[in-house]
Amino acid sequence: MSLIDVKNLSKEYRNGEVVTPVLRGLNFAIQKGEFAAIMGPSGSGKSTLMHILGFLDTLSSGQYIFDGRDVSTLSEDELAEMRSCSVGFVFQSFNLLPRTTVLDNAILPLMYTKDKRPEWSAKAKAALESVGLGHRLHHMSDQLSGGEKQRVAIARALINKPELIFADEPTGNLDSKSGLQVMKIFQDLNAQGHTVILVTHEKYTAEHAQRILRLKDGALVGDEKVRDRQLADGNGELRK
Amino acid sequence: MNKTIFQLAITALRRQKTRAILTMVAISIGIAAVVVMSAAGKGLEKMVISELDVFGPNTIEIEVKVPSVKKTSSENAMGLSTGITITTLKDRDIDSVRQHPNIEYANGSVMGQESVSYGGQIKKVVLMGHGWEQALIDDVKFASGRFFTKEEEESLNSVAVLGNAVKQKMFGDDEAIGKTIYVKGKPFKVVGVMAKRGAAFFFDIDNMVTLPTKTMQKKLLGINYVMYIMAKMKDRTQAKQTAVELTEIIRANHGITDPDKDDFAVNTMEEAKAILKTIIGALTLLLIALVCISLVVGGVGIMNIMYVSVAERKFEIGLRKSVGARRQDILWQFLDEAVILTTGGGVLGIVLGALLAFVIYIVAISYGFKWSYILPFSSILLSLGFSAFIGILFGVYPAKKAASLNPIEALRRE
Repeated sequence: MSLIDVKNLSKEYRNGEVVTPVLRGLNFAIQKGEFAAIMGPSGSGKSTLMHILGFLDTLSSGQYIFDGRDVSTLSEDELAEMRSCSVGFVFQSFNLLPRTTVLDNAILPLMYTKDKRPEWSAKAKAALESVGLGHRLHHMSDQLSGGEKQRVAIARALINKPELIFADEPTGNLDSKSGLQVMKIFQDLNAQGHTVILVTHEKYTAEHAQRILRLKDGALVGDEKVRDRQLADGNGELRK
Repeated sequence: MNKTIFQLAITALRRQKTRAILTMVAISIGIAAVVVMSAAGKGLEKMVISELDVFGPNTIEIEVKVPSVKKTSSENAMGLSTGITITTLKDRDIDSVRQHPNIEYANGSVMGQESVSYGGQIKKVVLMGHGWEQALIDDVKFASGRFFTKEEEESLNSVAVLGNAVKQKMFGDDEAIGKTIYVKGKPFKVVGVMAKRGAAFFFDIDNMVTLPTKTMQKKLLGINYVMYIMAKMKDRTQAKQTAVELTEIIRANHGITDPDKDDFAVNTMEEAKAILKTIIGALTLLLIALVCISLVVGGVGIMNIMYVSVAERKFEIGLRKSVGARRQDILWQFLDEAVILTTGGGVLGIVLGALLAFVIYIVAISYGFKWSYILPFSSILLSLGFSAFIGILFGVYPAKKAASLNPIEALRRE
């Protein structure tokens, strides 16, 4: 069974009488353990698609089945629960809480789970160590470099061990070395069994995935395997 | 209340310390006013009751009243103050009262205002005419001298008892006993000076001159009636029954058959206390109700601050929602903030109010009032409850707004 199964998915925004279609009848499926990139120029609807797939937005018509459940039948609280436990987000602009420690930023999603308070720190610490930030736990998020910020965001996305990780232009605000480090983490996570969906407008970044879904003007115009995959290593060097 | 969300609220407030403190101060002023009002109300009540206790629970009073109106009504007060004079309460009535088996002493009193002079000093004072038994009914204390006697009153002697302030004003530290003062141009011999009593509730007794009722009636006012009769009962447990019987006796004296036409009223001290308590209670309540307006103003302030806070923290709200916060998680976080602000303001207000009520108590005492410092526990509980309620009332809309934010919109920062 597919993790994500999208059938004829459409999304339009209404502003009074004006209807703006953003996504037009998409059909695709993503299997568990896949590393897929959604690629397209700005305005192609790729972010909207990610928001719908990540339970942050709702579709206008069609069907979205996640892990066998029809998402449009879920209540608001159930959607919150999905965001909490089934998916993790990594954003282009990091979206860390300012004036808050690295540890507390990573703990954030745990507040909305049934996890017991005393376990929070240990869990967050483990997640931060896995992205190489074990030495930065008590730094304020504002004091970190871009690459470090993005790694805190990845730790935060991982903390509830979600099935699926979304990355929305995760390297967009990073220098190429930090960007490669971040891509390496995603590839490693994928190797450990996480499903990763990467949203990007860059062909080069998209080629770190195994598969590229091309969007243009809200329609799916390509879906192919990456033949010559980019492999990043932890030092920011490329190996082929 | 969820502990985690509560702590989040605390953390958020600490980030905006100045704003939080100012908001709390706004609320605390209203709460302080409520506390001061209820403490002052209680203090006033105590004072009034203790003033009444000067007359003792054994006293019973018969006063004139405008017929066909209630004795506590404003028509009665208006009538008496605008020149309606009831002239029917006379010596015969005093004698009848005195003959009642449960009455120990009784005397009639009149009042007036005259200039009193001594050695070039002229002072306008309130004149009280009392029967000689007044000293037995009211526990009069003397700085020097004595009260006038039965004989002096019956032989219409021109004698006077000075209030402490009058004596100080006219004689200074000199001896006043035996000296002659002039009231309305007529000579009166000073026989006694009262001890300082302080400002009393109804009148300033220190600024009065007391004369025998009969002397005052005949020599100064030219009247033969009294304004009220004070009597002391032997057995106060019989007060109600005695009042009923006295009413019937005086009614018969005055030839009245229809109780509605009564030109007098019999009051026991218990009754007077009950009436005064009711009046003060109602007054206090009214003042507290007025003060509550300031709490509403504070509440609107809270609402304003919370809306600003929601607008400023859209990003945080969006982020929290994107990592799994439910509507009610966000709602409670912001509601907690509002309630912490108002309850904090409430605690601050109670402390402030308690201090202010204490200052009022000190001032009142220094002016000689028999004030008491009472902080009703009920008003503290009420204040706390009310401030929390204000927090919920005015916090719920901003919190709802926060909870209903769309996470994508909220995360989009320009």
